[in-house]
Amino acid sequence: MGLSSADTATEAIQLCIFDLRRGQQEGQELDKILFFFPADFPFSRQLSVIGLSEGLITFTRIFSPEVACEVIEADRHTHVFYEAEPDIWMVMIVEKNESEAIWRVDALQKVLKEIHSLFLMFHGSIRALLEKEPAGGLIRSHLYPFIIDYLRDFLFGKKLLLPSFRDCLKERGTVQMLTVSREAAIEVQSLVRLLEGSAGNKPCYSLILFQDLLVSTTLSPVDTISLFTYSILRLTPHALSSGVSSWSYLRKGSTASHVATGSILTHSASVLEQVYGSQDTSHGVDDNYHVARPLQQDRWSKGNDGFLVTDLWGAENGSSTPAAPTIWLQQTEERMYLSAYQYKSLTLILLVPVASILNGDQGVSLVKQQVHENASLKMLKVEEILSKGWGGENAYHVSGYRYLLVDGDRSVSRSSPPGKVTTLTKESLLVLSKVREEVDLEKGQMVGVNAGLEKDLEICIRAKNNAWVIARITKGKEVYMVLERANDTLLYASEAVEKFSNRYCNGAFSLD
Amino acid sequence: MSSDSSSSTSGDDTKSGQHTPQPLEHQFASVALSEAPATQEESLNGEGHHRTETEINEREGIVGGFEQRVDDKFEVDEVGQSVEHGVMWRRTNSELEVDGQSSPSSSGYAGERGSTSASSAASGIDGIVEDEIQHVRNDDLVDGFSDLSSSWVPGKRHLDEDDASISWRKRKKHFFILSNSGKPIYSRYGDEHKLAGFSATLQAIISFVENGGDHVKSVRAGKHQVIFLVKGPIYLVCISCTEEPYESLRGQLELIYGQMILILTKSVNRCFAKNPKFDMTPLLGGTDVVFSSLIHSFSWNPATFLHAYTCLPLAYATRQAASAILQDVADSGVLFAILMCKHKVISLVGAQKASLHPDDMLLLANFVMSSESFRTSESFSPICLPRYNPMAFLYAYVHYFDVDTYLILLTTSSDAFYHLKDCRIRIEVVLLKSNVLSEVQRSMLDGGMHVEDLPVDPLPRYGSLSSHLGQPTDSPERFREFTGIGGPAGLWHFMYRSIFLDQYVSSDFSPPINNPRQQKRLYRAYHKLYASMHNTGVGPYKTQFRRDENYVLLCWATQDFELYAAFDPLAEKALAIKTCTRISQWVKDVENEIFLLGASPFSW
Repeated sequence: MGLSSADTATEAIQLCIFDLRRGQQEGQELDKILFFFPADFPFSRQLSVIGLSEGLITFTRIFSPEVACEVIEADRHTHVFYEAEPDIWMVMIVEKNESEAIWRVDALQKVLKEIHSLFLMFHGSIRALLEKEPAGGLIRSHLYPFIIDYLRDFLFGKKLLLPSFRDCLKERGTVQMLTVSREAAIEVQSLVRLLEGSAGNKPCYSLILFQDLLVSTTLSPVDTISLFTYSILRLTPHALSSGVSSWSYLRKGSTASHVATGSILTHSASVLEQVYGSQDTSHGVDDNYHVARPLQQDRWSKGNDGFLVTDLWGAENGSSTPAAPTIWLQQTEERMYLSAYQYKSLTLILLVPVASILNGDQGVSLVKQQVHENASLKMLKVEEILSKGWGGENAYHVSGYRYLLVDGDRSVSRSSPPGKVTTLTKESLLVLSKVREEVDLEKGQMVGVNAGLEKDLEICIRAKNNAWVIARITKGKEVYMVLERANDTLLYASEAVEKFSNRYCNGAFSLD
Repeated sequence: MSSDSSSSTSGDDTKSGQHTPQPLEHQFASVALSEAPATQEESLNGEGHHRTETEINEREGIVGGFEQRVDDKFEVDEVGQSVEHGVMWRRTNSELEVDGQSSPSSSGYAGERGSTSASSAASGIDGIVEDEIQHVRNDDLVDGFSDLSSSWVPGKRHLDEDDASISWRKRKKHFFILSNSGKPIYSRYGDEHKLAGFSATLQAIISFVENGGDHVKSVRAGKHQVIFLVKGPIYLVCISCTEEPYESLRGQLELIYGQMILILTKSVNRCFAKNPKFDMTPLLGGTDVVFSSLIHSFSWNPATFLHAYTCLPLAYATRQAASAILQDVADSGVLFAILMCKHKVISLVGAQKASLHPDDMLLLANFVMSSESFRTSESFSPICLPRYNPMAFLYAYVHYFDVDTYLILLTTSSDAFYHLKDCRIRIEVVLLKSNVLSEVQRSMLDGGMHVEDLPVDPLPRYGSLSSHLGQPTDSPERFREFTGIGGPAGLWHFMYRSIFLDQYVSSDFSPPINNPRQQKRLYRAYHKLYASMHNTGVGPYKTQFRRDENYVLLCWATQDFELYAAFDPLAEKALAIKTCTRISQWVKDVENEIFLLGASPFSW
């Protein structure tokens, strides 16, 4: 606590959540604040951040009643707003103090959105927790460890590295799919049937991943994204082995850098608390709440039976057996038991409604046993087929192209492998980031009045460094591309897009 | 300046809190010389106390004189009920909350939701009609449209509105000037004095961020952007939902500030240093038309974002004749001599090394054209060129030769009126003798470059294009690959900016871009393209191709020029590229007639 070396680090980012319905009386403004990072930020400055945010939300509603303040750009900081739930706002303030600190607002907003979606999945809505305990202690004790655990994934040394222009060929809040052969698809389908059949006739859902890619889901799109995100963060073989999320190219580099990050992370648990203040000293969180911390690192492991185990949800009453993890589905508004099984690169997740299992964890064990009995053989087969068809880490590399494909309607994206993206020059990435920002704005202007119309847009830029930076939006699909060392004519660049579109996108971006 | 006859010189009435705009002339002794010379003598004597100072150091003298006049006004400047300096954020909030109490929703604005969605059907068009409210009914569009056509009337409208009016809140583009104590100085819509509370809110936002050691640049909320520009004690704010990029809107605020400086000089800052609650509105009294005309030009004049000026097309010899006589007078102590037709330059000459920034020309021309009094008589008025020297006044002698053509002679000397009048007479004689004025009239009728006339001949064609620019007498063949309206290959419009000359030429509008609404939409698209090409950090780019539902836009930037071209959205890329090459060739072929070339020693 209170390390002097922390001062520079704490300036770099602030994140807060506040409820506009609270603290209306003078002198009670602190009551609005549900979360503030860093926690040891002086109250006066916390209040000033929230005062400015609240002021601008009110101000912008004079002119734009439907969409209030989304971003404040100042010389030294960008303030990004996200209204997570009615009157519950998340605001992130990032400093632009160095050449790497160049953000795309939309990407930062998606971080806030991701935090909230994950929170919903594990703890339900913020408003519901507030209503459960209007004093606010309950929600604060949930939010604080949750967000700190989330941010720990962005911790690099003593610095939080948020998605910057270097990540502009990635799209948070989408899933990445494995392309499978017809034969494999049939096998996967029958595996899903076996898996879901293991819960008897209880209405259940499943999600199957191969490596960090989605193979199958029976969940709604919104729940798929949240659970997929969590799986990549904590459950897949890659997440289990490194104990680190794979969001950043900085971390996905060579094995050498893995070793380095690993050693940093061994003591990173304490770093955040040292640098940003630990919860009990500065926030007065009552430990009596016994809050599960599903985003804590290194708390999942593979058990002998192939199921993933964790003590994150505490232990069963009085015993030493870990309690079964549960999540909350947005679509059905149901709480589900989560069981995850792993075989080599294959991760299977089965969700069974809590309400349908009367004897709690014991019932879950029975379901697991059934999974084992019913689906083991099929898993072997599916794993084998998928492994055979899998082209490895660079499976989706397209030579000469650095790209990102986003299908907005299906929330699916595919992009050049991180190792290939890192070969781009900083300049190309900066241009792409700018172009994406322009496209974000154009898309933002489509909402509301023109929401019914589909944006059709093509931008081709020849940058100073002679790279072609291209964006195409059509029928809800987007493609972003950088072609370095390309021929200098515009026609060449468009032809390159055309070829890519025909070959990899079923002609979605072809002109005719 | 339209209000000068009605206002009083006495400041007494301001005590009541009701500000009667003071005409600019009273503040700065701008002299209209239609009457006997004695009037001029008198008026100039009004500044007599500072004459000695002027002689010692002219610029300082002007500042001193200005300050003196401003100081004299302080006694009557107290605005009783206006918002105090350093408004607290909390207070501002509560004001807004009170405002919102009329409706039960948390946003305080639920009442308008219904109307917004109900009118969304008209959206495709209303996006263009900036002067009108965001979501107008169809019949309103007719008015909006006529607003934009040639019958556009400068000056302030909707004076009855304030921030409580729904119509005011729905205006597509607001501009505000306020002082750092939150006092309103100018608002595009509504009565400044009724907007004191709103103005204080803007001030509170700016100072709140400043207290945190930062400077707010912009706020975005849905389609709305709020852009802030702080210029010492003067704050400028734009609130817009026109989809123009941040850089364009910020550039527009810079121009509005420049226009204010052109009228007052930057020495107005000193008044604020002496008295933070200084009320500037009286100093700008009667200049509403100047600002509203500038704001209007943001939607039709490319000079406002290209930062270049454009010339009236004229035969080389004709322009030479005009330049020669201007050069003549420039050698006799005139700083700049500018002959213009509307916003287009006929010729322009600067003394020795003096150079005139295109933005200064834009602001000067706007000032002259929007002030009715310049048209009725020859005038001698103090003005400041913000890019040339923001601290000092120059003196502008303005004379209209006909309804569109006018001469501006700029000098540093406040008593050069008679000399400049003589110069003007000499110029007029030469212009008449060499038929320049009638050639100007003819050029106005003939128009400029038309996309339909784009020649197919790729070889350079030297020589004259005759009176009608681009009349393709020598190249009847055009390429016909693309059938449709507009020029070849679906070309609809282009703008060519010569980097070396700081001049641009743009094609005349032809179908299908044939009404002001479509023109404004095209300019907005150009704005985006320009801002993208010139973005800070990674720009400027070399080429950009952009296609959306409305256009194919191409920008091609080289060391010598930037070409912006708009095509039919279905235009073929290969043909569009070919067409751009032809445009640049065409422009080079006729550059003698469309640009002012090396007529004078400009050094920018």
